[in-house]
Amino acid sequence: MKVLGCFKIVPDLDLVVEEDWTEKEQLKIDTGYVKLVWNCFDESALEMMLRLSDLSEGFDVVYELSALTVGKQKHESFLKTLYALGFKHGIRICNEEELLFDSEQIAEGIANYVKTRETQDVIVTGIQSSDGSNRKTPYLIAEKLGWPCITQVIGMETVDEMTLKVTCQIPGGELTQTVKTPCVLAVGNASCAYLRIPTLKDKMKLGKQPIEQISPESLGMKTVREHAKIVALHSVERKRNTIVISGETPKEKAESLYKEYLKGRIEE
Amino acid sequence: MAIISREQIVAGLVEILGNDQVITDEKVLKESSIDRYRKYEQVCEVYTQPIPAAVVYVKSTEEVSKVLSFANENEINVVPRTGHSAIEGGLETALKDSVVIDGSSMNKVLNVDTYNMQVTCQCGVPLQELDDMLREQGYTTGHSPQSKPLAQMGGLVATRSIGQFSTLYGGIEDMIVGLEAVFPNGKICRIKNIPRRAAGPDIRHIICGNEGALCFITEVTMKLFPWMPQNNRYIGYKLDDEHMKLGFDCLREVMVAGYRPSFARLYDAADAQQHFSSWLEEGKAILIWMAEGPENITPAIEAGIKDLMCKHPELEEVDPTLIEKWYGGLNWGPEQIAEEAIEIKETQNIGITTEFSGSWDNIYEIYRTACDRILEEVPDMTLMGGHSSHSYINGTNMYFVYYYNIVDCAPEEEINKYHDRINQIICEQVIKYGGSIVHHHGLGKARTKYVTEEYGSSYYMLKTLKQAFDPNGIMNMGTLIPLRK
Repeated sequence: MKVLGCFKIVPDLDLVVEEDWTEKEQLKIDTGYVKLVWNCFDESALEMMLRLSDLSEGFDVVYELSALTVGKQKHESFLKTLYALGFKHGIRICNEEELLFDSEQIAEGIANYVKTRETQDVIVTGIQSSDGSNRKTPYLIAEKLGWPCITQVIGMETVDEMTLKVTCQIPGGELTQTVKTPCVLAVGNASCAYLRIPTLKDKMKLGKQPIEQISPESLGMKTVREHAKIVALHSVERKRNTIVISGETPKEKAESLYKEYLKGRIEE
Repeated sequence: MAIISREQIVAGLVEILGNDQVITDEKVLKESSIDRYRKYEQVCEVYTQPIPAAVVYVKSTEEVSKVLSFANENEINVVPRTGHSAIEGGLETALKDSVVIDGSSMNKVLNVDTYNMQVTCQCGVPLQELDDMLREQGYTTGHSPQSKPLAQMGGLVATRSIGQFSTLYGGIEDMIVGLEAVFPNGKICRIKNIPRRAAGPDIRHIICGNEGALCFITEVTMKLFPWMPQNNRYIGYKLDDEHMKLGFDCLREVMVAGYRPSFARLYDAADAQQHFSSWLEEGKAILIWMAEGPENITPAIEAGIKDLMCKHPELEEVDPTLIEKWYGGLNWGPEQIAEEAIEIKETQNIGITTEFSGSWDNIYEIYRTACDRILEEVPDMTLMGGHSSHSYINGTNMYFVYYYNIVDCAPEEEINKYHDRINQIICEQVIKYGGSIVHHHGLGKARTKYVTEEYGSSYYMLKTLKQAFDPNGIMNMGTLIPLRK
């Protein structure tokens, strides 16, 4: 079964300095100095693919894992990491611009890659990126390919060469279903949040395979045009009022906390 | 080891301090048996060290004195601590029925003396709170270790800590003015606050760096400096990783030329990618300086460093704003530690650091040979890199940063299979080339096995100090001086 993981590399927003979040009258947060990380949902998706492959023994199903990103030259190091973890193909649709609201074009590129370059049985992506947060790309890929799309995926298991058992979160619970390929799976808040780390030896041995570089134009992607445009940006005031509970002993403080702040709420 | 039972120890402590200050909760005791040297055990909640009899929270110097006297009479091992941020095993309770004496409740700033430029505080004052408060008034201690959000004054002095701006302000040994400490027999000693004296040896240094193996630090007076961040200048250059030797030479040139930037760093390519991956190419190392001080000084330092560096065609200058913004996010607080624990559990991949120092003529060899040996001899390595972050006229330090996957290994075996093995290689290479195995984390417990080689003939002095001040052997046994097998 051929599985294509589509991922985005994003700035680690936890490292953006306070002033950059709160600067007045800006339309862009400067993230140029912070380190790059896997988009969190995509990271889960890629780890889920590896676990699917790990657990396939005994099912007589062979998984061929590929990974694709629309991104910068700098992002190729992430594809090399995936090679070191056992992915067979790494593809970069070359783009040096920042892509925030371009789900349509990204989906076009991915769908056309699958249609014209290398067919796949399953496409796995994260549900959204941490910077653009459009939550559209997996749906659009599915639409362009005419495949079903399952969202909020939190687990994948092998059934047979043509079928996966997919678990996803639904309001109030979890739904597990068998799904015939081809399909698009959009990973949500999965418990496997982190991608495993390859050893330096595996990086040396496997990480040097060539990365397929494809121009956006050759996949029918038009020059980036933003359907959405930022016209205002406001930071959220995160300060909270603080009350210091006083008392001579911990017991007194606990009693005060209970009587003045907790009791009423509990009784309600 | 204690000559009374665990129950009698607790009863004796309750008699001195009362119930509220003596903690015997099992979870607290287990967590207090180790520090972050056994990070994997901590994350897995598997505890291999003897569980202490109690953790006691002291509120005054007199209470410390009474608890130590009680421990001394009954030969109970005590482990002094404040912020619990140690990472070299210094807080491990190596002997059965130890007592952890926690000074974090002694957290009052006693005097901010802006005329004599010094601040006096109790041992449990968190450095972050102290420095934030001082900065609001236009002052700083100048001390800014990565553990700043966690560490407290007693532990910072006890471990001879150093901060990121050490090239200008020095290590904590250069910042302390006076001290108060309590010795195992209960004796309270105060060293007065004066600018300098030549009345015999500088006895502050019996206390500074004692790692709780000689005394309990209760009060610290530190120097103050004016806080002038508006004048800061940042300078950065990238260079190929194969030019790391040149990188060390560049650090040296700046020091030897007489400049005193506050921040002087050299990251190798592997470590640099951990920090600067958004704009630094793979395979590039990076040199960074920050100049701090009066407005007519910092531009001169910047110009001087640039003048020296422009003679090296291997260097390429980088946008200083990238450095300025990065440096704001260097410190580690409780949130990062909690996040790291989850990541370790999920990935079974763990990151550790080990620091050492060397002279200009051996630092590169130590760095290179230790890296090579670790990669050759230790399995499952996922990252091996490091940076120099504290430079002197005669040498610099190196801070190894390494990650490995924990494979087919029970939590209690991890330390032997990986961490101790890496530590051993680093210590062996440092000793072979003549550096120091400890630059600023403290010797702790794991590295005490190399202490005789580290000290050479002067080990006599260290051992004599221990025998003189702690004849009953109750102060943080296994730290500084190895336990007899």
